[in-house]
Amino acid sequence: MLDLAAVDTFLTLEKQNGLLQISLRDNWVFANVAKLQELLDQIVPEPGTSVRFSCGGLKELDLAGAWALYEKSMDFEEIEVQTDFEGFKAAHFKFLQHIIDIAAQKEYVPGFFDQKPNHWVHDGIRKLGSNTIDAVDSVGFIARAVLDGIKRPSRLVIGEVIRQIHATGTSAIPIVMVVCFLMGVVLAFQSARQLEQFGANIFMVDLVANSIFRELGVLLAAIMVAGRSGSAFAAALGTMKLTEEIDALRVLGLNPNQILIIPRVVGLMIALPLLTVFANIAGLLGGAFIGATVLDINWFSFTERLALSIQVNDVLVGLSKAPVFAFLISVTGTLRGMQVKGSAEELGRLTTVAVVQSIFLIIVADSIFTVIYSRIGF
Amino acid sequence: MPADYEHIISIRGLVNRFGPQVVHDHLELDVRRDEILGVVGGSGTGKSVLLRSILGLHGPNEGTIEVMGQTIRHHQPGPHKKWGVLFQGGALLSGLTVQENVELPIALHSNLPVATRRELAVLKIFMVGLDLTAAAKYPNELSGGMRKRASLARALALEPKVLFLDEPTAGLDPISATEFDRLVSYLHQNLDLTIVMITHDVDTLFSVCDRVAVLVNKGIIVDTLDEIVKHPDPWIQDYFGDPRAVRARRAAIAKVKI
Repeated sequence: MLDLAAVDTFLTLEKQNGLLQISLRDNWVFANVAKLQELLDQIVPEPGTSVRFSCGGLKELDLAGAWALYEKSMDFEEIEVQTDFEGFKAAHFKFLQHIIDIAAQKEYVPGFFDQKPNHWVHDGIRKLGSNTIDAVDSVGFIARAVLDGIKRPSRLVIGEVIRQIHATGTSAIPIVMVVCFLMGVVLAFQSARQLEQFGANIFMVDLVANSIFRELGVLLAAIMVAGRSGSAFAAALGTMKLTEEIDALRVLGLNPNQILIIPRVVGLMIALPLLTVFANIAGLLGGAFIGATVLDINWFSFTERLALSIQVNDVLVGLSKAPVFAFLISVTGTLRGMQVKGSAEELGRLTTVAVVQSIFLIIVADSIFTVIYSRIGF
Repeated sequence: MPADYEHIISIRGLVNRFGPQVVHDHLELDVRRDEILGVVGGSGTGKSVLLRSILGLHGPNEGTIEVMGQTIRHHQPGPHKKWGVLFQGGALLSGLTVQENVELPIALHSNLPVATRRELAVLKIFMVGLDLTAAAKYPNELSGGMRKRASLARALALEPKVLFLDEPTAGLDPISATEFDRLVSYLHQNLDLTIVMITHDVDTLFSVCDRVAVLVNKGIIVDTLDEIVKHPDPWIQDYFGDPRAVRARRAAIAKVKI
């Protein structure tokens, strides 16, 4: 309980036989609401008495201040304390009237103001279920979109495919080659370190060539493309979805699955094998460069050893994976993009999902390929 | 707090150029306290540029702008707590619910306890005529009119003294537009608000605005509606001579008589 004689900046209290007179002063505005609430909470009149808010001394009152006042008067009513207001200027009063108007329409909506109980097991199981349904749903979505796209191909698709080959393939050549060159360098160094112990430096060529041709060339190219183009697909289609461009295409009589998805899928399935060729060349160059400059294996002996250690099928193993990886990247990218709805945040989330998922799928597919090829001895 | 200002907004010698194209040439504008000013003009006359200049989102080539005695500088903090803006598309943050959108400015500019913050936000949401069901929704789940209302609630969250509305009734059907106009008048009557609104809607202009500012000839003509319809400028004559404008004006006059 506040000292009744206490004079505060915002209010003064005065007690006259059963009536508590609260004179409001200064600015009852948004900036002071925290302080005002604290002050008001300290006033606890006895039940059965009455309270009068006198507002003659107020400098300024805004909605937040009026709300604090009104809330308090409601609290008083609850403990059976009569409240009334006096001395309002017109401008002050309309705020209060406004609040009362609004309070009249306030109704209870279950769960809005209550804390929701936290059942983590329950939530976890529900999430698992909904994720499973989502996964099945996207597989269906993918199948439907791709089949729908190839039903009646239109002339527009060809030009778009060529544009996509340029965007995803040609312009990715430099970065893919640099990465693979460096990977060749790393492989040469690491294998030479081990082989040196047996004086078998020249077998470095076998190791580099085999790993680049069979695995790393295509894998690195695919991962670079997933980061470059997979994200671009998802972001581009997601934005088109948000701005209703996809709906516009449909209304114009164009099939978005055909115009947007098929060119990207086909384009990337052409581009990635070609990109793999460049990746392989760069990887070999990296190995040969280290051989010539550091390991005493000159360019001539490198190529000679290369011809002995590599068969055509080693090259084909790598290249055969490329279209599959390309399919996985482009399908995940485009379809995640198509699943965007509503908000910009969703776009960001699905773009991330597209990249992470396509890299994950690439590696899963690669391991399946490796097992199969080693079983059939290809 | 610089309380001693004569006009809520005063613009002196504003020049905006984009390359060779001059949009505003030494434009002068005073917005009085507690009025509703409608800004109209043909496309390309720089209505949005004017608004963006006032808000400090666009750096004018020349001129000074003062809002409530504070000089506005490009990309510098302005009187954030004293103005509210309703952008054309609503510009609600799409990752937050309506409730959270309205709570955001309150949380940013005060240290109120969470419960109070929430109550104040709900108050504002009720004030614009939405209910708690709408408050719990995300912006993309709302209709265009509700989104505008939600955005208005956010603009009002900090008890602003001046409210900027950019095309508040654009994209709304006539009934929603009329309701929105009513809401604006209602808020103006009940809060100490100065309202500056860019609008194309002649109904809004005649039913809500006290004064009208017309952007013509790289400058601005400000007057009451009754006076401005008599202005000889050809664009103004065209604009207010349009059948829809005539009808709106008649409706406004009829309403006054009743």
